[in-house]
Amino acid sequence: MKSEKPAKLKEIYSSDEQNIILDSIADGVFTVGKDWHITSFNRAAEEITKVSRKEAVGQLCKDVLKADVCESNCCLRATMKTGKPIVNKKVHIIDAEGRKIPISISTALLRDSKGKLLGAVETFRDISVEEDLRKAIHAKYSFTDIISKNHRILQLFDILPDIATSGSTVLIEGESGTGKELFARAIHNLSPRKKQPFVAVNCSALPDTLLESELFGYKAGAFTDARKDKPGRFRLAENGTLFLDEIGEITPSMQVKLLRVLQEKTYEPLGATESLKHNVRIITATNKNLDELVRDGSFREDLYYRINVFKISLPPLRERMEDIPLLIDHFITRFNTLQKKNIQGVSEEAMSVLMSYNYPGNIRELANIIERAFILCKGGLIEKKNLPENIFILKPDHDENEVVSLRDAEAGYLLKALKQNNWDRLKTARQLGMHKSTLYRKIKSFGIKLPS
Amino acid sequence: MKVALSVFKDSISTVFDVSQQLLVLEINGAGEQKRTMVKLETIDPIRRASQLSEEGINVLICGAISMPMQASVSARNILVYPFVRGKVEDVISAYRYGKLGQAVYALPGCRRRGYGGSRGRNRGAHHRWRG
Ligand SMILES: Nc1ncnc2c1ncn2[C@@H]1O[C@H](COP(=O)(O)OP(=O)(O)OP(=O)(O)O)[C@@H](O)[C@H]1O
Ligand SMILES: [Mg+2]
Repeated sequence: MKSEKPAKLKEIYSSDEQNIILDSIADGVFTVGKDWHITSFNRAAEEITKVSRKEAVGQLCKDVLKADVCESNCCLRATMKTGKPIVNKKVHIIDAEGRKIPISISTALLRDSKGKLLGAVETFRDISVEEDLRKAIHAKYSFTDIISKNHRILQLFDILPDIATSGSTVLIEGESGTGKELFARAIHNLSPRKKQPFVAVNCSALPDTLLESELFGYKAGAFTDARKDKPGRFRLAENGTLFLDEIGEITPSMQVKLLRVLQEKTYEPLGATESLKHNVRIITATNKNLDELVRDGSFREDLYYRINVFKISLPPLRERMEDIPLLIDHFITRFNTLQKKNIQGVSEEAMSVLMSYNYPGNIRELANIIERAFILCKGGLIEKKNLPENIFILKPDHDENEVVSLRDAEAGYLLKALKQNNWDRLKTARQLGMHKSTLYRKIKSFGIKLPS
Repeated sequence: MKVALSVFKDSISTVFDVSQQLLVLEINGAGEQKRTMVKLETIDPIRRASQLSEEGINVLICGAISMPMQASVSARNILVYPFVRGKVEDVISAYRYGKLGQAVYALPGCRRRGYGGSRGRNRGAHHRWRG
């Protein structure tokens, strides 16, 4: 595999002075000879690729960089062939630890003082932070953003592509923070509609009349303030996917309207005289048990069957403890890039606390715990003392033999978290990573009394 | 048993996540029986993994592979030898004699991931074939 380094290049580029200069550059830089073997490799390049200079020099550049374009469309080859530099081309590499990293590449020819071609130089920059932000802004999440090795989730992965291509309605059930929206977006992004919009509406956030105009839009003059036509979310999601979150919260009259829209594939904007056809795929989500709601008569059975062609049930985090270390790793990597920190992981002690907690707010709560620890932890490992106090309470400090039911334990957490936040329910909900309506519901069902 | 190598020309393809061709070896107690080329249809990790599984692959030998891709392939009960490089014939014979762990077959800087730690323990021992 290895070839002899051309003596001349070695002379020029392995000198200490050259390395010092190269190492002072913040971007990754490497040079290759005409045979594509690496002749120099700076410190930033080591950091981005996780390959050391010693391991890299003398190797074929594609083996070191491991970019998705190396075989199909090599940047250096193009530059060597045309003489033209490439500027800021976005590609992905896989580092030596298996992380996929977006980088921006530039290339140029390398000549000696007499103009003789020596090879080429490539500079590259880790653009994960920009990419992360772009993803966050456009919410372009895909499968690869769903972290799990839980067998139930892996089974879902198996059928998700088929569900996605089918175009049927999908109902996603799961507690707060279990990833319902993430899955909804992944389904959209796997479907033939992926280039079309994904529009999310939280049905519990709006009273009926507002929800109706939000979904279906209105015509000018439909009511006093309606000066211009306003397109509804159905219109905005045309040809794409409409995600109706908290579907269990809609009123009986809204249920009737939605049923018609689904059956007839048409809807009427407020104040319109004609109905409009739509081509929108509907995905719904709920943290309630719709079966039960149907049984007790608060959710229409016919609507239930319409939205429930496929049902996906996301297990709560406490039923997939094996995902906790994976998710922690994932969030640490994310916050390291976003906050330009270098936290290495969590200490063993902290991990055992994190593993014994039961996460009523599920993955969002875990993410919040890690984000909070980042504020308190300057570097190295996240320690026990960086974790919020309320997550320590699972360990019953009374009789070891007394079995505490999950429900009691959860009520205990809530109570403690509420106390910590001076009974501020919004703050508590945020800390636990649950929706405030979920918190209210739990407070009620546990019969927790708030001081007035 | 079916062993798949992700190939580009006469070498292991550098990045499995985007590679396009698989060389599939069918092996039984008597040795290698048959070779076929299979085109990989998608770069989506889930679908790629399900294609491997539909082809009945038991072992995948490949170049650099991202963690989500490796996780979805492993989830199909396919044994993955990641971060391998080299000429196809050399790699096949290294696999055959249980020598894939040698440094020459690892991408630069990637021995830790491919063969270090718990991931790599006993790798190959169960699947080595005697021809
Ligand atoms: N398996 C996962 N891997 C990585 N991140 C995840 C996973 N599941 C959820 N998350 C993250 O956790 C957070 C909560 O997920 P999401 O908003 O999809 O949950 P939800 O079920 O819609 O919650 P809610 O009921 O409160 O609306 C998000 O930041 C999401 O990216
Ligand atoms: Mg949600």
